[in-house]
Amino acid sequence: MEWVGMLPLAALTFLIVLPIIWMISTSFQASEKAYQLTTEWIPSVWHPENYPNALTRWPFPRYFLNSAIISVSVMLGNLIFCTLAGYGLAKYRFPGDKILLLLILSTLMLPMEVTLVPTFLLIHKLGWLNSYKGIAGPILIDAFGVFLMRQFIMRIPSEYIEAARIDGAGEFGILWRIILPQCKPALATLAIFAFRDSWDQFIWPLVAVSADEYRTFPLGLVRFSEDFANPPNEQMAIAVLATIPVVLVFWILQRSLRTGFTLTGLKG
Amino acid sequence: MIKWQINYRLRLMLWGILFISPTICFFIIFKYGPMLWAMWLSFTAYDMVSTPKFIGLYNYSSIFQDPTFIQSLENTLLYIVVAPAAITVVSLGLAMAINTKVRGARIFMSSMFLTNILPILACCLIWRFLFHPHGLVNQLLNPLGFGRIDWLTNQYTAMPAIIIVTVWRFAPYFMLVFLAGLLAIPNEIYEAAAIDGSTGTSRFWYITLPLIAPIMFFIIVVSSLLCARIFLFPYIITGGGPGGATRVLSLLIYETGFFYMKMGRAAAVSVVLFVIVMVLTIIQMRAFAKTEEH
Amino acid sequence: MRKSKKMDKSSVFEDKKVTRRSFLRGIGALGLGVAASPMMGKLASAAVPKGPLKLTYWDSENPQMTPWRKKRLAMYLEKHKNITVDFQSFPFTDVGKKVSVGFATGTAPDGFTTIDFFIPSFTSRGLIAPLDVQQLGYSSLKAFSDDHPAAFVAGAMKDGKLYAYPQWWYGFLNYINTKQFKEVGLDPVRDQPQTWEQLGEVAKKLTIKQGDKFIRQGFKFAMHAAAWTVIQFNPILIQCGGAWFDKNGKCSINSEAGVRAMTIRASIIRQYAAEDPADTVATHPLPMMDWLRERCSMFYSHPIPPAAIRSQNPIMEAEGYYMPVQSPGVDPNKRYASCYGVISVISATASRDKQEVLHDLLRFMYSDVIDAWGATKPFLPARKSGWADHPDVKNFPHLQELIKSRDNGVLLPRSVVYAEMTDIMHRAVQKVVLTNANIKATLDTAAEEIDRATEDFYKK
Repeated sequence: MEWVGMLPLAALTFLIVLPIIWMISTSFQASEKAYQLTTEWIPSVWHPENYPNALTRWPFPRYFLNSAIISVSVMLGNLIFCTLAGYGLAKYRFPGDKILLLLILSTLMLPMEVTLVPTFLLIHKLGWLNSYKGIAGPILIDAFGVFLMRQFIMRIPSEYIEAARIDGAGEFGILWRIILPQCKPALATLAIFAFRDSWDQFIWPLVAVSADEYRTFPLGLVRFSEDFANPPNEQMAIAVLATIPVVLVFWILQRSLRTGFTLTGLKG
Repeated sequence: MIKWQINYRLRLMLWGILFISPTICFFIIFKYGPMLWAMWLSFTAYDMVSTPKFIGLYNYSSIFQDPTFIQSLENTLLYIVVAPAAITVVSLGLAMAINTKVRGARIFMSSMFLTNILPILACCLIWRFLFHPHGLVNQLLNPLGFGRIDWLTNQYTAMPAIIIVTVWRFAPYFMLVFLAGLLAIPNEIYEAAAIDGSTGTSRFWYITLPLIAPIMFFIIVVSSLLCARIFLFPYIITGGGPGGATRVLSLLIYETGFFYMKMGRAAAVSVVLFVIVMVLTIIQMRAFAKTEEH
Repeated sequence: MRKSKKMDKSSVFEDKKVTRRSFLRGIGALGLGVAASPMMGKLASAAVPKGPLKLTYWDSENPQMTPWRKKRLAMYLEKHKNITVDFQSFPFTDVGKKVSVGFATGTAPDGFTTIDFFIPSFTSRGLIAPLDVQQLGYSSLKAFSDDHPAAFVAGAMKDGKLYAYPQWWYGFLNYINTKQFKEVGLDPVRDQPQTWEQLGEVAKKLTIKQGDKFIRQGFKFAMHAAAWTVIQFNPILIQCGGAWFDKNGKCSINSEAGVRAMTIRASIIRQYAAEDPADTVATHPLPMMDWLRERCSMFYSHPIPPAAIRSQNPIMEAEGYYMPVQSPGVDPNKRYASCYGVISVISATASRDKQEVLHDLLRFMYSDVIDAWGATKPFLPARKSGWADHPDVKNFPHLQELIKSRDNGVLLPRSVVYAEMTDIMHRAVQKVVLTNANIKATLDTAAEEIDRATEDFYKK
């Protein structure tokens, strides 16, 4: 059983991953190959210079740095505020808590396109355009994260909290010492997806940034693809490079990731 | 004693409010405020330069008589219905495939998940090449007897192409969610069923499916929300074409607002999109509540 | 040696003491004496304010034009140390958006680069300032008009005032692969298509097919961007006697002439089977990629830089087996294409001082037309005089064809909703060409949509 099923599953996986292999392979090809439209999987001639070439055509190192700063900020913002709010909703009762939960969740139904211009005007009035806080600000907290943390924390038995209170622990102390250590899977999940989503962010930075020093790499990549003689191989090189940080973040947190999933969809 | 209890309860309430207040403030400033502003905008004509001028329901009546909007609406509805269904089915299938005690399943699972980690823009650029008439997809389909398919330039295959990319990107993510649910089903249930003589398929329909129904509901709702918001796939891969066949509402909103400079009209379209999503979610929740009763 | 000549050029314009004779000697003008005089007439620069002044200028990024502008800007700032300019460049699509957002939030730049077909969207809302041709170095409006293509002037004027300062202006041409022509027994000069029917016939001869796959397409229209679609369709419509709007301002592309024009547009595919719109390797940066890779024999395009050709097909560039010819016409004696160009405009919100400085800056920047040409060839300077006969310039391959296309070109439609209009046309052409839709019905829908879009705009 163990080995028999492996072949079809491997084939399926291979098929799914094929476009990614294509991306990596193309990134090492010469520019003509992309237009020959017959795929040469293993490059006959390797062109690793696509990578440094691509990085120097546009200030990609700067773009990647900006993306990193934004993504880390958003990740931290989510970790902090979603946990606080999730904890508040999970373990505290106050008038309107159900309504607030619903309202928070309802923001999931608000695509950025609805709020794009007003958000932009707001950021401009605050003088935050072309700054890290301007780009990271409006995307700092995601309702999905609040929901995730709420669901997860709800499963932590309240007895621990009661006991800690009787022992005289302060509310923040309880959060820090009792709740958080048990939240590791959910926190890891939250961290990864907050990082990944802000890494991918396109529309908001597109509007909020007009100065090159603050461009994020998706903006850079699209500009790159509009440039005069830009070869697709270098586009793929940038794409490969852009994948690495997310893979790294995922890799580091992945052990906690799988268990984190169990608590989001189940009832209660 | 009671006073202390009341004080205690009050104190806890205040703490709860304290914990949630930064987030609420954030959403008021960055979500609710702008959303209300956008709703107001939808009743105005606003080109971002002159002050907004109130024009009542003109935007709404105009868009519903506009074939471009109707086409976008149809595209979006089609996409919101088909893509989440496809994602759910495929991700369930993948989860069940991984859940067999096959050697190396963990590695396969992690590899599949790569599609979800890849930056979404990279995803778009890759698939734009792959769907070329002489691109990889056709190269693979050719030996199977398919002729040349003009994926991105044929009005009947453009949306399926976008849906394929959507499923490719999101199914592995939801596969993990399904997996968590499948793993949570205790083996004893299956063993008991096996003793009772049930077959594989009936096990699936009568045991597995009901037990993962909550997760399935979650996935359908979340993927619907994701699909309602999707922008980059049609924007980069087909540009909304051919002839507007893949122009979804989010794309229309962006173009109307930022290229045609008609913010009031764009806001009206956004409100329509928002209503669609709300209605969809309500329907799904009702449907789920009904199945819960069984 | 060449460099010092160029330096002379700028010093000629800067040094007000130069005589007409030395000027003429400097550019070796033949018959340009008359044309040169308007420029000589008023070379005094505007009274540039002496106090510190900061300007913002937003440029539309172009790999040739932007570095050249930056270089000229640096030269200007050297001379005027009290002025600082915040010069930023963005991809073209971004500039438009950012400028609008800038106007909305009071952060509009003092001057910016745009393309001429956007002029109405700015002038209709009073966002850009009229220009003073004297501050630009011309003695009168007539002198300015005489020195620039008629089409540009017609499109940049409103109520008798000039609103844009053009730097580059060019028209579309039919680029043909002469080697492939000879392969099928055609002579590139004699057999170049003069009418659209001839284009179809020639394209058919050049096409090579293998089953349902085109090994080589005879002719291609670029399909990647709405702007290109309108640029291509525009001259055909006008050649058929049609117009974008009738005298009441209602869209008339669905007239009989419009249907004929669209039929012509689709004919290469439908009638002559010489084009496959779905099969293209064109990308945004290089719409002419199919032609560069010799996958098609003829391609309708703006002037193509030799560097672009060299980057994708060095042999073609080295051996020079290509040539641009005038666009086909409905009438073989009226072979014109669309013309358009890169312009600078000044915001109405800029203060008087800033406007004066901008005039002076623009005047200085484009005072050395030969240098501009050197940096941005083959994109033609908008100016007619003062460069084309220069020894450094006149031997540029196919220069006369390029100039002819520029000067005979027809203007793109002027509409306050140009962006939306091009998108609507783009979808219409896609429907006709990719999904084989009925032409009249498609044009009817498109005209309706354009009218609705225009009506929306005025709903204020």
